[in-house]
Amino acid sequence: MEKKNVILSLYPTTKLLMILLIAVSVFIIPSYLYAYAMFLVCLVIAAMGNVTKEFANLTIKGLFSLCILIFVLQSFFYPGTHVLWEWGFLAIKQEGIHFGLTLTSKVIAVGSSLILFFRITPVKDFVYSLEVMGLSPKATYVVLSTLTIIPEMKKSSQVIMDAQKTRGVETEGSLMVRLKALLPMITPLVLSSVASTEERAMALEARAFTVNKRKTSIYSIEKTGRDSFIRVLLLVLLILLIVWRVAL
Amino acid sequence: MKRGLKHDFSLIAIMLIPIGVGLNVAIAQLVQILRLPIWLDAIGTIVAAMVAGPWVGLVTGGSTNLVKSIFTPTELPFALSSMAIGFTVGMLSKKGMFKNFGKTIVSCLIVTVIAVLISTPIIVWVYGGISGSSASAMTAVLLASGQRLVQAVITSMGLLELIDKSTSVILAYIIVNKMSDRYLSKHNYTQSFIKSNKKSKVA
Repeated sequence: MEKKNVILSLYPTTKLLMILLIAVSVFIIPSYLYAYAMFLVCLVIAAMGNVTKEFANLTIKGLFSLCILIFVLQSFFYPGTHVLWEWGFLAIKQEGIHFGLTLTSKVIAVGSSLILFFRITPVKDFVYSLEVMGLSPKATYVVLSTLTIIPEMKKSSQVIMDAQKTRGVETEGSLMVRLKALLPMITPLVLSSVASTEERAMALEARAFTVNKRKTSIYSIEKTGRDSFIRVLLLVLLILLIVWRVAL
Repeated sequence: MKRGLKHDFSLIAIMLIPIGVGLNVAIAQLVQILRLPIWLDAIGTIVAAMVAGPWVGLVTGGSTNLVKSIFTPTELPFALSSMAIGFTVGMLSKKGMFKNFGKTIVSCLIVTVIAVLISTPIIVWVYGGISGSSASAMTAVLLASGQRLVQAVITSMGLLELIDKSTSVILAYIIVNKMSDRYLSKHNYTQSFIKSNKKSKVA
C-alpha cells in the first residue's frame, strides 16, 4: 500500500534533492512571500504523502512558536527609524517587521522542508541509500542504533528516577534540592549505558562487523524511471529559479 | 598508544557515539522533569570526548544535533557548536586537563568560551539574536536597555553557558572517575582517569 504512494515510493536521495531544492531556493529568491509559499509547497507534498497530520503537528510545535517569538522581538528591537506604534520604551519599527518577516520566512521554509523530509523518508531507507553511495557501514550502525537507543534510554532514565525516589532522593522542592537530585539520577544512567557498550562491541565483533569486505544487505530499495524524471524536473526548476533571479 | 583520526574510531569507541547521543537527549529530558533552569544537553558528548578523544567527541556532538533536528530542525545550526564542544573536551582530555579538580575547573572555562564563540555567530546570523532558548529573554532585556545585538547575545549566552557547561563538565568528570579501570583501559584517552595510575604517582 505504501509502495503505491506517489511521494513515499520515491528513492530517498530523490526526495533529498527535492527538499534541498526547496531549502536552497529560499536563498536564491530573496522575497519572503516566496519563502512562505515554499511552506505551502511542503504542506502540499505532505498531503500527497499522507503525512499532513504529523507534519502540521511538528511544524506548529517546533517552528511556529519560535518564529512568532523571533518576529515579535525583532519588530520591537531591530534598529530602525520608521516607528509604526509606540508604548513607553517599546516601539514597533517598519524595518523590524520587514527583517522579522524575511528571517522567519527562511527559518520556516528550511525548517519545514527538513521536517517534511524525515516524515516522508524512513531513516532506514535514507541511510541505506547513503550506504549504497559509499557511506561506511559503521556510520550506518551509529545512525540506526542511535535512533533505537534514545527511546530506550528515556525509558531507563524514568526507571532510575523512580528507583531513586523510592530510596529517598528528593526530586521536588527548592532549586537546591532538585539540583542535588541530579547526580544520583545521572550517574547510574551513564554508567549502566556505558557498560553496555562492551557487550555490544563483542556481539558485533562476533558477527564480523569490522571485517573489511563488502557487506550485503537484506534490505533493498530500487530506483525507478520516475526518479530520474523527477531529478531532471528538479534540475530544470533550479535553472529556472536562477534565471528568474538573474533576470530580475 | 596510537592516537589520531585513524586510530580513534575503534569499535568500542564507535559504540560510545550512540550512547553519548542517547545520554544527551535523556539527561536533557531528566533536567526538564526536575525543572532545573539549565539545559545539560551535552553531558553525553562530554563523557564520550573525555574517554574516546576529540574526533569521537566531535562526531557525537554533531550526530546529537542531527538526530534532534529530525523533530526540531531549528537545532541543526547548533551542530557546529556541539561539534566544537566535543572536540575541545577531547583535546583537553588529551592534554591531561582533567587530571584533578583544579584543572577541570580551568577546562570548564575553556569549554564555555568555545561554546559562546561558536554559538553567538549562529544565533546572530541565523536567528537574528533570538533562538527561543532561555537566554533569549535575557537578550531581549539587554536589547531593550540599549545594548548592541552581538554584545547582548554574548552577555546572556556567556552567563548561561558558563553555568550550564561548567555543571556538565564537572558532572561528566565525576562520572568518568567512577568508571572501572577495566573499562577505561580500553579507550585511548583515559590515562588521567585510571585509578591505578593515580595511586602509583602518589606513592
